[in-house]
Amino acid sequence: MGYSRSGTADGPGGIQYLRLQRASSRSDIFPKLIAMQKNLKARNFAVFRITGAGLPNKRKLVCELENWGNGAAENASQFIAGYGEALLDHIELSLLPLIWNGSENASFADAGEFASLTHRLEPKVVPSSGIAFPVRLGALGNGYVTFLATSMELGSDVIIDQHVRSCQVMMDLLALDERRSVPAESLSEREIACLQLAGDGRISEEIAEKLGLSVHTVNAYLGSATIKLDSVNRIQAIAKAIRLGYIH
Amino acid sequence: MELSGADMVTEGRSYKESAGSRVLSREQLVRRLSVATSSNNVQAVMRLLAEYVGASHFLLARYDLIQEQGLDFIVTSNWPFDLVRRLGSELASGYARSTELEKCLSLLTPSFALLPDDVVPPDDISRQYCSLTFCVGKTRFSLMLLFLEGVILSQERLKEVGLFAAYGASFAESADARTERDFELTERELECLFWIAEGKTSDEIAVILGISRNTINNYITSVMRKTATKTRSEAIAYAVRNNLV
Repeated sequence: MGYSRSGTADGPGGIQYLRLQRASSRSDIFPKLIAMQKNLKARNFAVFRITGAGLPNKRKLVCELENWGNGAAENASQFIAGYGEALLDHIELSLLPLIWNGSENASFADAGEFASLTHRLEPKVVPSSGIAFPVRLGALGNGYVTFLATSMELGSDVIIDQHVRSCQVMMDLLALDERRSVPAESLSEREIACLQLAGDGRISEEIAEKLGLSVHTVNAYLGSATIKLDSVNRIQAIAKAIRLGYIH
Repeated sequence: MELSGADMVTEGRSYKESAGSRVLSREQLVRRLSVATSSNNVQAVMRLLAEYVGASHFLLARYDLIQEQGLDFIVTSNWPFDLVRRLGSELASGYARSTELEKCLSLLTPSFALLPDDVVPPDDISRQYCSLTFCVGKTRFSLMLLFLEGVILSQERLKEVGLFAAYGASFAESADARTERDFELTERELECLFWIAEGKTSDEIAVILGISRNTINNYITSVMRKTATKTRSEAIAYAVRNNLV
């Protein structure tokens, strides 16, 4: 199918290539968010990501970037307390932007003709009105890019543009994280082969037979892979190897 | 696969007029999408989007069903039928070729590829096709477009279209009213899986959850039975691949 990098797709080299075109630090993302904030005529932005992976009761929102200034921690926790649950539930089913009216005097957010393609949250839960763009990348890096203001009147053009850019922001954030968590040494071909087979449910003896190695060698490879992946046992190593894309 | 529902007839006419004279503006698109989504008509949504971006044919596929036999993975399409059938295997192999991380980092990014050599596209349709992915809930979708020879699709518009398609799919997904595809694992079993993937042993999980080690092992055995996996490692690999942890 439409996969343009088939030559370098499998190794870490493929990922390397991806990285080149992306933001090199979080400070590169900030100006993008400020520009989006201006487009929406908003007062503040805040980027939330979902941590705790798939576990329903472990999932929570974490504020990754914001420009609230002094009251940042307070604002973030107030927002999460008010809308956290609604945001977590929403992104499990839908990608429609969320908008809400704040509790401040005459605070409102209106999406005009776009309203039917948004989902409205309960009003007056937090002081400011705002809009939250859900971004669902897949297994990793999901979250919301939110913008807050006293009042917002938004047209279709600006909403769809900022949602597209929100997706880019979340991909940039994920690309940055991924670079930080890459193992110090990359895994050898043999280590990857052993991990793959272990992940497919083979026990060490079977892996040894398949690769023509001794059981001890297989265990040694799995051990060294575990260390390189900064894991405590081979199961965690397998989970990390899948998430980092070393094995399928 | 050209289905012609009653609603299609009325709407279809207006497209043809506008397609000839001018390109659909965003405002018009949004207005019409509102109508199509309110009746939850995914096909009408896709038709609108194909027109907006300048493509001649659309195909919306869901990746979670692609491994299975048959053409269940197709949500809606107006591609020629033989092409659809041929593309099923292409899609499956392409999907296995890239990693989850790469997929996450290529959201809404259009990529172009050539149709397999052994298929004959309809007249005037380019051999090159465009595909891009988006996610709604736990499901990853692929939108594939065919276009006329010589037509150049705008990258910006393609991204917008991907997002609009995700909106359309959101309505359908929400209407499905939470089809739990968590393979019927219980909350406790998921919790155990989560901690095992973090590298915890049964003893450690027993302390974390405040239940006995044997209970933990029972949960894990039950997970392995439900997921048809043979070892703990495989069960975890399964859980990670399916975004359960």
